[in-house]
Amino acid sequence: MTMKANRSYLLLLAIVAVGLASCEPKEVENEGPLRNDLLKKTTSPAVIGDRIEFVYALGTLEGTLKTARAEASIPGAVGTGFSRYSWFTNRSNGQDVPVLTASDTITNGAVSTASILDGDNNKALSLRYYYAVPEEARGKTVSFRFSGTSSTGQEVTINSPAYTVSRMDMKRQITLKDAEKCYVSLADMTAYTKEEVEQKGLSGKIDFVYVYRATLGANKYAFGHAMVSLANGTYLSDLNLPASWTKTPTLLDKRVDVKDAQLRGGGFDVYIDDTDLERTTFTNSADFAYNLAADQGAFVRSGDGTYVAYVFVNSVNNTAKTMTVSIKRLQVK
Amino acid sequence: MQRTDMKRRFIYTLLLAVSSVCLFGSCEKTPVDADGLLITQRSQCFMTFFDALGSDHRTVLVSGSTQIDTTALTVKAVARFGTNLKRIKPYSSVVTDAIVEPNMGIWTDFSTPQQYTVVSGNRKVRKTYTITITLQQ
Repeated sequence: MTMKANRSYLLLLAIVAVGLASCEPKEVENEGPLRNDLLKKTTSPAVIGDRIEFVYALGTLEGTLKTARAEASIPGAVGTGFSRYSWFTNRSNGQDVPVLTASDTITNGAVSTASILDGDNNKALSLRYYYAVPEEARGKTVSFRFSGTSSTGQEVTINSPAYTVSRMDMKRQITLKDAEKCYVSLADMTAYTKEEVEQKGLSGKIDFVYVYRATLGANKYAFGHAMVSLANGTYLSDLNLPASWTKTPTLLDKRVDVKDAQLRGGGFDVYIDDTDLERTTFTNSADFAYNLAADQGAFVRSGDGTYVAYVFVNSVNNTAKTMTVSIKRLQVK
Repeated sequence: MQRTDMKRRFIYTLLLAVSSVCLFGSCEKTPVDADGLLITQRSQCFMTFFDALGSDHRTVLVSGSTQIDTTALTVKAVARFGTNLKRIKPYSSVVTDAIVEPNMGIWTDFSTPQQYTVVSGNRKVRKTYTITITLQQ
């Protein structure tokens, strides 16, 4: 009886041992003397024309590092590739200091490579890899496979998750000037003069007019920098717009707390993505937004409903009567 | 001996009964309305403050212009020049425990006067206020 019980215990122990052994990770690539890791530094949405920044870290206990390689599932646009510099933080002042690390960086199609400089110290590095989001990636997902080799002939790899590329477009720093380049088209993401609109017959594409009026009304109320739809006769009455122009009512919804970091150029980790433009509603919205100041903006829906955009105000100048804006725009139909 | 046991059993039963009454008696339901808000004994019913926000979630009202008449049941406010009265988010404060019907805090067209009813804490007194916002001209 005792012998039988002992055998049962031994059998159970063997099963547990086998079970535990089978739970060991099969991926042993990162357990050797050559190891790698990946960090995506960019937190903003991937917008066409913008860049996604990665940090690819490599380290070896044997030999020195030889190459780093990145392969994108969709070839990047011009500007895609490794930087030749690795970075470390100076502990005395907290500043990031560049160190020339790669002798050569090449991007050919979807593949980017960096040849690490010869040197006994090249045992650990963190290279920057930039992916310039191409037009071909619009609305698709893109993923990356990073790998590195050492002088001992070993190789490690790491795969990134898949990232969704935005469908929207972005254009930064468009300077509008009252009575000059002040007719803005969301379709073109461009500002025109009255003469250009007239000569090229663009009135149907104009979504709003930038005007600066320090005060308005009989009692001189503050009005300031404003975006006004061509259909608004009240605030554009002094522009004497030709009767022949198409004046489609654009809807505008002013915001003071949407400080998109991509449009602003940093400062806040707030980003407008496709979904924000898709879901914004314009029930009973006005056809103008006024008293605009830097860091404010407005959601805008074009008259025909083709585009929804967020127009961010980068800066205003009361003396020059100018307003600089940046735009994220999504075609919604 | 048997008598003592009987006596002890009686005392235990009595204690159990008293503690049960105390326990379950304290779990009596406090009355709440359909929104889960407490219905109290208060019968006061009036509005104490009114504000209106624009699409940028900032007040559109001219400072010091709002007049609340708790006798005539009216609120009169002046919105700044250029305000889009068709897209206003109203807010108000009312006396303790009272509620407002319909709910405020949603986009509302104030290009015409709107009516809101203040309901007392005991839900027995109802006063309908007419809120008028005019534009600074």
